[in-house]
Amino acid sequence: MADVRQESTVGGGRIKGLTVVKPIVYGNLARYFGKKREEDGHTHQWTVYVKPYKNEDMSIYVKRVSFKLHESYPNPNRIVTKPPYEVTETGWGEFEIIVKIFFNDPNGNERPVTFYHLLKLFQSETDIMLGKKSLVAELYDELVFQDPTPAMQQMLTSVRPISIGAYKHETDFEDKKEKTNNNIINAKKKIRHEIAELNDRLKMAKQHISKLKKDIASVEKVDDKSAISLIPT
Amino acid sequence: MALGSDVRDILDLETPDKDPVTKESLMNDSKKKKVKKPEANARKPEGMHRELWGLLWTDNKRDGPPLVPSDNKQGYKQMKAKIGSSKVRPWKWMPFTNPARKDGAIFYHYRRIADEGKDYPFSRFNKTVDVPTYSDLEYQQHLHDDSWTRIETDTLFDMCKRFDLRFIVIHDRWDKEKYKERSVEDLKERYYNICNILKKVRAPVGTEPKIKVFDAEHERRRKAQLTKLFERTPEQVEEEENLIAELKKIELRKKEREKKTQDLQKLITAADSNIDSRRTDKRIAKKKFPPIKTKEGMMIKSNPESCGIKFPDFKQSGVSLRSQRMKLPASIGQKKMKAIEQVLGELGIEFNPIPTDDVVQNFNELRQDIVLLYELKIALANCEYEQETLRHRLDTLNGIKVGNLTVFGSFQSFH
Repeated sequence: MADVRQESTVGGGRIKGLTVVKPIVYGNLARYFGKKREEDGHTHQWTVYVKPYKNEDMSIYVKRVSFKLHESYPNPNRIVTKPPYEVTETGWGEFEIIVKIFFNDPNGNERPVTFYHLLKLFQSETDIMLGKKSLVAELYDELVFQDPTPAMQQMLTSVRPISIGAYKHETDFEDKKEKTNNNIINAKKKIRHEIAELNDRLKMAKQHISKLKKDIASVEKVDDKSAISLIPT
Repeated sequence: MALGSDVRDILDLETPDKDPVTKESLMNDSKKKKVKKPEANARKPEGMHRELWGLLWTDNKRDGPPLVPSDNKQGYKQMKAKIGSSKVRPWKWMPFTNPARKDGAIFYHYRRIADEGKDYPFSRFNKTVDVPTYSDLEYQQHLHDDSWTRIETDTLFDMCKRFDLRFIVIHDRWDKEKYKERSVEDLKERYYNICNILKKVRAPVGTEPKIKVFDAEHERRRKAQLTKLFERTPEQVEEEENLIAELKKIELRKKEREKKTQDLQKLITAADSNIDSRRTDKRIAKKKFPPIKTKEGMMIKSNPESCGIKFPDFKQSGVSLRSQRMKLPASIGQKKMKAIEQVLGELGIEFNPIPTDDVVQNFNELRQDIVLLYELKIALANCEYEQETLRHRLDTLNGIKVGNLTVFGSFQSFH
């Protein structure tokens, strides 16, 4: 399933030139209780998670995922060693969660990957506000394995699906990918067009300036001569 | 010791053993100590190593370093003068003549007896100037000058001799009623001209006499300049300072603009390569080549000098998140960052789009282009400004040329 490209050579314990890409989705679900809880003032239940974008078992190459919650939570550094990689908690406020993915590398050559997710609880949509629907704030990203070790490469290519049925996400990332890319390409065309236009104008301006400079120089030359004859001796 | 000599001195007894005091004997009687030094045996003691002995005693320097620190020598100490240890040198009231004086006048002063009869030592400071003289024939042949009469010239030379070429004094004593009013420079010019002519005339054939250089014209201008400088009013001084400050500003701006022009060339090159890559893009798209990858390849090739943003290179081994490759480097600066955000906002593109390979590639290129565009805009604005100033200058120059010429002359001299 992994995207493998370019021929590779083994060197320095790594397969040079090989790039393996593993898309992931991370984010959080949140559901409003409908009211403030009496005992601790919590208002939402939320789940922060990291999951594979494609239907595959990440545990083969992922050793553990740690979620660092806000200091006010008991034992804020939550470590998950098996899928699903998620933490469910209740709370009343949004904060930044530090997510770290550690890899199953026997020699510890692959350093963990760190990213931040801002826990999202509040949204203006009425259904979510009323607690009838869950809020989903998730992002697509890709783990890029540059020159993996042979062992890692082995793990990356021998993944199994995690569920037998259809594997779906809350967000339609394929559609988003397509749209975003097209948008950007169009924008790029537009900008390049503007660049070309500006460049032409700039060149014109430059020519104009050099012409003006020449004119001034010639006028000044003539003037210098006449000025010399004017200076009383 | 000192006491004994004092007593003897008071009683006016003869002290046969004493020399008159010298500075050396006053400061330090080191001679005696040197004499005292024993002629030590230059032999190595029994059982001492050769190397150690070599440190202590060398053949050319028969003075071994002290083994124990000693302070019996003066060293760097301030030396104390031993005053009163011997007889004073007497002074005497005596007449003297100054050889520098022609009149042979006799004056009196105190002097050491030892110096009696010697020449007055300060007479050597009386330097006399050798003012040349000329014969009638020489004057008629070489020295004639229409603006100077013979009598006037003679008077000048007479005064030069009298006042030892102190031209300021000569100018002061110059008989302005009898002769023409002359400036210091006029007097000097005449004097040095005559000196030089005489030297040339009298020099033996084939030799080049040493000529005194006096550029009267230059001196006059110099003094006129200084007078002008001195006679400025406070307002004029202030104006000049302002003008100088303005000039500095103008030069600074000029330098800046020159630098910008250089940058401009770079920018145009970058933009050109950008357009080229766009054209190749189009061609490839038309030919319907395998779409995305080839396009990227082309772009990467033609865009290496793109001056926009330098994204970090993700060539090193290891795991990373794709989204990391979209991060703007911190070096980009606040202004460009703002410009990018603004353009992205106008285009309706997220600041952090979904990070797939293609999107990241295109998004980074897009932002590079945006920065390039931003720089081009600034450059164009600068160019237009420069164009405007140049046109204005040309107009002014043309206008003035057509207008009053004398005005123009003074205008020029300001530059």
